[in-house]
Amino acid sequence: MIDIWLGLFAGTAFGFVIQRVGATNPHKMALAHLMKERFIPQFMLLVVIFSAIGLVIMQASGIGTTRVLPTSLVATGLGGIIFGIGWGISGYCPGTCWAAVGEGRMDAIFTLLGGLAGTAVFAHFHETLIPLFYSPTNLGQLTLTDWVGHSGVALGLLIILFGIGILLIGRFWRPYGD
Amino acid sequence: MSTQTNAPYWPIVPGAIALAGIMLFIFATFGPPASSSGFVTTLKGFFLEILPEYAGSKEHYRMMPGPGSWLMAFVLGMAIGGFIGGRTFRQKITDVPEAWIQRYGASRTRRYAATFLGGFLILLGARLAGGCTLGLFLSGATQLSISGIYFGIVIFAVSMLTARLVYSSRRDRHD
Repeated sequence: MIDIWLGLFAGTAFGFVIQRVGATNPHKMALAHLMKERFIPQFMLLVVIFSAIGLVIMQASGIGTTRVLPTSLVATGLGGIIFGIGWGISGYCPGTCWAAVGEGRMDAIFTLLGGLAGTAVFAHFHETLIPLFYSPTNLGQLTLTDWVGHSGVALGLLIILFGIGILLIGRFWRPYGD
Repeated sequence: MSTQTNAPYWPIVPGAIALAGIMLFIFATFGPPASSSGFVTTLKGFFLEILPEYAGSKEHYRMMPGPGSWLMAFVLGMAIGGFIGGRTFRQKITDVPEAWIQRYGASRTRRYAATFLGGFLILLGARLAGGCTLGLFLSGATQLSISGIYFGIVIFAVSMLTARLVYSSRRDRHD
């Protein structure tokens, strides 16, 4: 039961914050994808930098549960391509659409309904699709730490990569008429 | 860098600190946050009511908790948070975004059909990859996972290309 209250509390805080930064606004998201709005992509990269630093500190103190999802060259990539097409069309993600429904956006309700349909189709064919696309190229639960050998160095590398991303977005994403 | 601000929305640095704090709270009290899984738990609850044998026969439903779980409470919480945010916000909330109206007109039917298709694709892709923007990219990259960074690069690249096709003006195409 405590899990339900924790989930509800975390979800409410999460939904409120993403509404307040504008991530639930599909107009803003479309402009971000068209390289005319820098705030949403920079925000996402900043969140990862801050939470990655915090998580390393928490893990050093023995707090928290982690679970790294495996990398499947084909399934992660193909899933990303299908996801990217849907994101470009609708401007919503599986998370933002719930908050946008609460916000009162009618088009988000249809994203949510479409999402339920997409989930139902995938779940129905899971037994065929996972052995076909996921398992053959599953490389396991890879992390940057496995590649560079030390978690501190890996964290530094992530901060540098995402920091460069933030700077490039600031340089190349331009509002209309700028 | 451009000097314009994120107004009327929050500046992104305090916004990112707030969201990272919530992410860490979730890592501490639950585990890696995820939202596309909430769709699976919702549907599992639906099928457990109307077709329990079907829900029990499918691995994708067996591997996820049903309603009455953290995952389900989290996505419902997201809707509550969005509701509170929307009700206390000074900007008008639209049903059809302005960029869409400029390209396709104000037809609601057309926009709703497009977002239904978009929703279908984001969940199909997320379930195949094992997570979404939150569960795979934000959670994954926070844990320094290769899958999260790989997925993040692909979704940004493809959505930017898709948006160029979706929002390219008629004039660019025909004149």
